[in-house]
Amino acid sequence: MKRRKRRSFLTLMLGMAMMLSACGGESGGGAATNASAVSANTGNASGEKIQIKYWYAFGEKIEEAKQELVKRFNESQDKIEVVAEYQGNYDDLHAKVQAAFAAGDAPAVTDLEIASTGTFARYGMLQELAPFAEKDKDQLKIDDFNPGLMGNAYVDGKLYGLPFMRSTPIMYMNVSLLEKAGLDPAGPKTWAEFEEYGRVLKEKGITAMTMPVDIWFYEGLVAQSGGQVLAEDGKSGLFNTPEAVEPVEFWKKLASEGLIKIPVGDEAGATADKDWANQTSAFKFGSTAGVAGAIDISKGNNFEFDTAFMPANKSYGVPTGGCQLVMTSKLSEEEQAAAWEFIKFMTTTESTIYQSKHVGYLPTRLSALETEEMQSLYKEYPQYKVAVDQLEYARPRPMETAYPEVAKLVKSAIEKTLLDPKVTPQQAMDEANEKANALLSK
Amino acid sequence: MTSRLWEKLKPYGMISPSLAVFGIFFIYPIFYMIYLSFFDWNFVSPTKNYVGLQNFTDLLSDKEFMQVLLNTTIYTFATVSLTLSISLAIALWLNRSGLFYGFVQGAIFSPHIISLVSISLLWSWLMDPEYGLLNWVIGLFGLSPLQWLSHPDTSLMSLILVAVWKGIGFNTLVFIAGLQSIPPSIYEAAALDRSKRWRTFRKLTLPMLSPTLFFLAIMSMIGSFQVFETIAIMTQGGPVNSTNTLVYYIYEYGFRFFKIGYASAAGVMLLIIVGVLTIIYFRMLSKRVHYR
Repeated sequence: MKRRKRRSFLTLMLGMAMMLSACGGESGGGAATNASAVSANTGNASGEKIQIKYWYAFGEKIEEAKQELVKRFNESQDKIEVVAEYQGNYDDLHAKVQAAFAAGDAPAVTDLEIASTGTFARYGMLQELAPFAEKDKDQLKIDDFNPGLMGNAYVDGKLYGLPFMRSTPIMYMNVSLLEKAGLDPAGPKTWAEFEEYGRVLKEKGITAMTMPVDIWFYEGLVAQSGGQVLAEDGKSGLFNTPEAVEPVEFWKKLASEGLIKIPVGDEAGATADKDWANQTSAFKFGSTAGVAGAIDISKGNNFEFDTAFMPANKSYGVPTGGCQLVMTSKLSEEEQAAAWEFIKFMTTTESTIYQSKHVGYLPTRLSALETEEMQSLYKEYPQYKVAVDQLEYARPRPMETAYPEVAKLVKSAIEKTLLDPKVTPQQAMDEANEKANALLSK
Repeated sequence: MTSRLWEKLKPYGMISPSLAVFGIFFIYPIFYMIYLSFFDWNFVSPTKNYVGLQNFTDLLSDKEFMQVLLNTTIYTFATVSLTLSISLAIALWLNRSGLFYGFVQGAIFSPHIISLVSISLLWSWLMDPEYGLLNWVIGLFGLSPLQWLSHPDTSLMSLILVAVWKGIGFNTLVFIAGLQSIPPSIYEAAALDRSKRWRTFRKLTLPMLSPTLFFLAIMSMIGSFQVFETIAIMTQGGPVNSTNTLVYYIYEYGFRFFKIGYASAAGVMLLIIVGVLTIIYFRMLSKRVHYR
């Protein structure tokens, strides 16, 4: 609220300043659209550069890759200037895009976590991309995108995003610790084996895994048990089905025996990373985006690491993750054209190879996989390839408008049964499913 | 004529910038929030859907919201009473001159000037159930480790601990200022009458200090009701909603679930609660506050 007010106040001040500086005859739209209108106008009239904003999430290697790609784009041509701005994690980014959109000051292009595409598209905040894709189809080659990553690109049959930095969760293993404990460094392939590993590690005083209660991992565990989190039509939840309760029971068993540690709060993911890096936990689940960072860490802390599929229950299974690039609605035609050029550039074969190598994300294009560059990378660092192979078992994430709220109450239900011995997983998930149904059926 | 008119208008001209800021940043948002609380709106769609009091009835029948209210009340009550009593005790101890006392005063004030975000990260680390410093320390005394932020039984208490730790410095400083403004002649008179220390404190110091106490109580109460940063960083309202408080709840519904009408209704509730409490405080305490 406050943020929104401040922004519109600023725009108001800006608007007043502009009027004072003798814009005179111009009757320009509302104060809120002034800024963008002005930049578009100047872009036209004097043949100067058009400037558009691009908002992105996450720092460190991910940020480096995004900044580098933006720099390359800006240097590749002289019509469009993209200004890239950091906005925190995905939740922060989404909240800021929403507030900026309401204030009429949204970025032209933004990262969007894939599960939120539905919400943003249905609220009318996104520009449909099909006309652009159709116009440039020879250049874009949309069929070249890995089909396993296109599931979240379409909302109600319409194209809204192109796969950008996409991932699956994988299992990171500290091979040195496993060997020290006398365990097979190939790692556990199934839940049962994971439990065995956990017992052996515990005897040596090592936590098997630091694992936050994360809806993304939970979706994976449900997939591994052969289930779904939502019904086909998305109008009801399946959280109380045996396949969706089994992961919680497994989780609870591991936690109650002290085989896994469950961190909380905004820093829960960071705690898991930290425990793994400090070798107090042998495993972690994490996005494949962490591979390049993990290579650095393992070298610095002197241990060997490997990556593997998330262990199977009935089968392997994971959700995909990461973000796609979307264009916001309410742009002028010039801005749309500029935004589209930028999105195209960021998702080319060359760009996806660069960011995949730099960070660890999946190469989004099939043509990228076939290149010599990627193949030799996989030979040298097989850790990069696990997520690509795992894609065979991957599925899209739910995109229902109410899903963020549903995810929160499911997370809360899982925490409840993990922490309270009196509440069985079935009870907790029954209750959660009932609440989820009320939200989803609206 | 004109100069007299100018004389009349001048004060208004002088305060108009701050009035404008006040109006735009405080008054307008409050009324806009009240207005929004009657709508079902996602913040971005062009049409707002008028729902009357639906948001309020939903809110009051929501078990989660009741939990949130309870959490906020416990947090506020515990934080304010602990902070004030501990700061007052420290202030009485530190209310003398000397290098040592000056140093202690500076040391306990230092948390006040550190950003809450850094403090939250620092305490998350101290409170790590397995590798945290706090569990190591209580282990030295032979006590079993606590789960701190990771368990609903201890999570709210942990947040209160952080708030008290952060709040003591500032409150102590203000208390010391209050103590030093009490004229020494009154104490001399009390000493002549052979008043005992506890009696002097109760009948003399406390009444003379009551304006300060009153001010600090109101300020920390309002501040505690609006706690956000530590919760956003250390717990995100969890585990199992045990640390979810009003402002975090409002943030979640407004900016993560896109229910701005519902969030505004919760905001109105916060406004009402803080307003009513402030009035009660004024009524109750004004009778006992000793103004000179």
